[in-house]
Amino acid sequence: MKGKLEPSERQKLIEEGKNLKEALTTLEEDLVKLRDELQIEAQCIPNLTHPDVPIGWEDSSKLRNMVGSPRKFDFPIKDHLQIGKELDLFDFDAAAEVSGSKFYYLKNEAVMLEMALVNWTLTEVMKRGFTPLTTPEIVRSSVVEKCGFQPRGENTQVYSIEDSDQCLIGTAEIPVGGIHMDSIVAESALPLKYVAFSHCFRTEAGAAGTATRGLYRVHQFSKVEMFILCRQEESDMYHEKLIKIEEDLFSSLGLHFKILDMATGDLGSPAYRKFDVEAWMPGLERYGEISSASNCTDYQSRRLGIRYRPSESPSTTSKKGKTNLAATKFVHTLNATACAIPRMLVCLLENFQQEDGSVIIPHPLRPFMGGVEAIYPKSR
Amino acid sequence: MALQCRLSGATFQSLKLATIPISSSSSRFIFRTLPKTLNLALFSRHSAPKAPPFSVLIRTLSAPAVAAAPAAETSDIKVVKPQWNAAIDFKWIRDNKEAVAVNIKNRNSNANLELVLQLYDKMLNLQKEVERLRGERNNVANKMKGKLEPAERQKLIEEVFYFYGWFCELGKNLKEALTTLEEDLVKLRDELQIEAQCIPNLTHPDVPIGWEDSSKLRNMVGSPRKFDFPVKDHLQLGKELDLFDFDAAAEVSGSKFYYLKNEAVMLEMALVNWTLTEVMKRGFTPLTTPEIVRSSVVEKCGFQPRGENTQVYSIEDSDQCLIGTAEIPVGGIHMDSIVAESALPLKYVAFSHCFRTEAGAAGTATRGLYRVHQFSKVEMFILCRQEESDMYHEELIKIEEDLFSSLGLHFKILDMATGDLGAPAYRKFDVEAWMPGLERYGEISSASNCTDYQSRRLGIRYRPSESPSTTSKKGKTNVAATKFVHTLNATACAVPRMLVCLLENFQQEDGSVSIPHPLRPFMGGVEAIYPKSR
Repeated sequence: MKGKLEPSERQKLIEEGKNLKEALTTLEEDLVKLRDELQIEAQCIPNLTHPDVPIGWEDSSKLRNMVGSPRKFDFPIKDHLQIGKELDLFDFDAAAEVSGSKFYYLKNEAVMLEMALVNWTLTEVMKRGFTPLTTPEIVRSSVVEKCGFQPRGENTQVYSIEDSDQCLIGTAEIPVGGIHMDSIVAESALPLKYVAFSHCFRTEAGAAGTATRGLYRVHQFSKVEMFILCRQEESDMYHEKLIKIEEDLFSSLGLHFKILDMATGDLGSPAYRKFDVEAWMPGLERYGEISSASNCTDYQSRRLGIRYRPSESPSTTSKKGKTNLAATKFVHTLNATACAIPRMLVCLLENFQQEDGSVIIPHPLRPFMGGVEAIYPKSR
Repeated sequence: MALQCRLSGATFQSLKLATIPISSSSSRFIFRTLPKTLNLALFSRHSAPKAPPFSVLIRTLSAPAVAAAPAAETSDIKVVKPQWNAAIDFKWIRDNKEAVAVNIKNRNSNANLELVLQLYDKMLNLQKEVERLRGERNNVANKMKGKLEPAERQKLIEEVFYFYGWFCELGKNLKEALTTLEEDLVKLRDELQIEAQCIPNLTHPDVPIGWEDSSKLRNMVGSPRKFDFPVKDHLQLGKELDLFDFDAAAEVSGSKFYYLKNEAVMLEMALVNWTLTEVMKRGFTPLTTPEIVRSSVVEKCGFQPRGENTQVYSIEDSDQCLIGTAEIPVGGIHMDSIVAESALPLKYVAFSHCFRTEAGAAGTATRGLYRVHQFSKVEMFILCRQEESDMYHEELIKIEEDLFSSLGLHFKILDMATGDLGAPAYRKFDVEAWMPGLERYGEISSASNCTDYQSRRLGIRYRPSESPSTTSKKGKTNVAATKFVHTLNATACAVPRMLVCLLENFQQEDGSVSIPHPLRPFMGGVEAIYPKSR
């Protein structure tokens, strides 16, 4: 139409142009809607699965490793609730009035024990090259979703803040995952290894039955979480490293536990592969999950928008002198529980109880508790 | 309508007069000229049945009509039912109304004392009427249980039928009248409660009257450090030493959120650990607390979760909130209970994360760590006998002074003026520490004596120990009346502002920051934070 035209031709073209424009607008709108629907449906597709992962449900999970063996007691043992009551270590009743069920106060030596556990765990993991962090515990719900959780789902685990798009975190994995949201990281910066301490909040909606007693299932707890961002080729290796760190930590504390390669039915959408650690809890007379290490490959990074630019090689410089930038790739992300306090307290109290009612403190924790060696019954 | 009737010829139509709604004007007209006593001689064994004085029936309903008038006024007002009731001593307020009025004015409170006094008077009157009516209803009930001689019974069958019916009607009318009055009384009590709960705590006589400028300096410790190099503020130090990240947090969570990194994490833990250890040495029981609590508990501590510009985050689809301070869950521990006097004082030191919306906070005092939505805090809380709260207030401020001096901070302690007290506090001391990067003093701590303001709301009482002389002849010990505990709270360590102080005060020319000696053992012996080589 920019060319020279006879007036009648021009008129015809104007009509055609207008029709094309309208048709285009409608199609573009349809395209947007279609993209949106495609996106929503496709985002439901779970991550791929590592070839070695057993197929099936809970019973199909494979034992990778077992460390230690159940302690033999020559006296009647108590569960952590009873020990806690006798040693005046927690109060669930007052918390039920003030806040509701599954809340608690820690008291006396339990407070020092929590701090020692956090402090020791952070110190140990820092030694292995992780950067320590504390994180926000209120985050935008979009970040929660990008990590693979569903804040608004039925039976959601996520607490939402009124009149706001914000939620409480259920794990530090979320705010740590968000640190490098929508950015391109230099390959030389990888791996990025963080160890984050935070409080975690979970509604535990839908959780019922016996596995809810005392500290085993609570709405609020302290946790030290490890998080790695790495190159794609390295995530399997870092998954092994993470589970090795967990193994070291829990062995140092003298716990007996097994490590499971979780079956496909138990993975959760983001995880390519997941190792769970279940520790022996003599008072509960069973193994209880104390930790979980997941390799999420690029599931989270595709949602959080975290990429890295592979280092350029000199041969890619073109004739014009302009360097060809290598295409970006998505990082792989991994997360692993270094220490979830309440379940760790269950383990320590139940495994290290003595006949006289006291509880021995594992050696590595003692320096972090001012040298305290045991928790003794208080004289009344 | 005919008022007089003889019962034998009476139909129940006229008796229905008694069921006219109390507040109708016609009934007031009827009730004007009537004797006061209800004559139930009808049921006396020996008296001939007579027509119950209709006037009497009506009179029993008249008294409520008088009291009903004011009740009718209040029943027009929409009264929100309080979820809980503070144990307020209304009589004391009335007997000391001048002092209460002056206090309200000094604190610039919007409590409406006049309304409280009016409502209290009305309530007292209404209560009297209700009690009187109850008495009469009981009389009627008792009389109806009375015995009649068989002969009389036979004789009176027909009339008894009427009388019985009449008394049922009377009883029923009394009952309805009573029910209405009782409802009015409840509404009146609710309104009185809501108004009275706005009345702020009393004030210690030594507290200066006025606003911020009127706060009085109690004590100053140390002096501002002299720097012979340009001083950086904590944000710059944090950036250079890679100690925090506000930018990433703004994306993930919003403004005024942050990540702590590297040595700052260890420093926070050292501060918390050291503070807890020091305060425990002074006889305080360490606690960690829930950070989600029922909103009623927040209110009972004197905060307003639903107010405009509230500091309180609420949880969606729930009556729960996030705590802004451990004072709230600790205050709730002994909610609705009676503590033995021998157990007092109860001294707690609690560590928690705290969440504040900071709605309404604007201006320069919001930079970096100075004003944030989430932070760690170690809080001291004491429950004690009434006579001892002043003493424990002094003890708390002394502990704070010791803690902050040990860290080498320069600070001043202020006796806050009436306009700055906040409803629960009888007296409040604030600690303001010198922050060279911000070039001013900033509040790092606050110690309040709330006397019985919180305990009257939380329902925390103690029973004074009994003395042997109170044992009565029957061998039953007289239990002493309970009293309300006094509660106090004081910040032992608010981590972000403490970080501001430590970073800005102990920065060195080479860009490093020295760690105060008391904290070093709690940080694995680390002596300073050094710039990282790049």
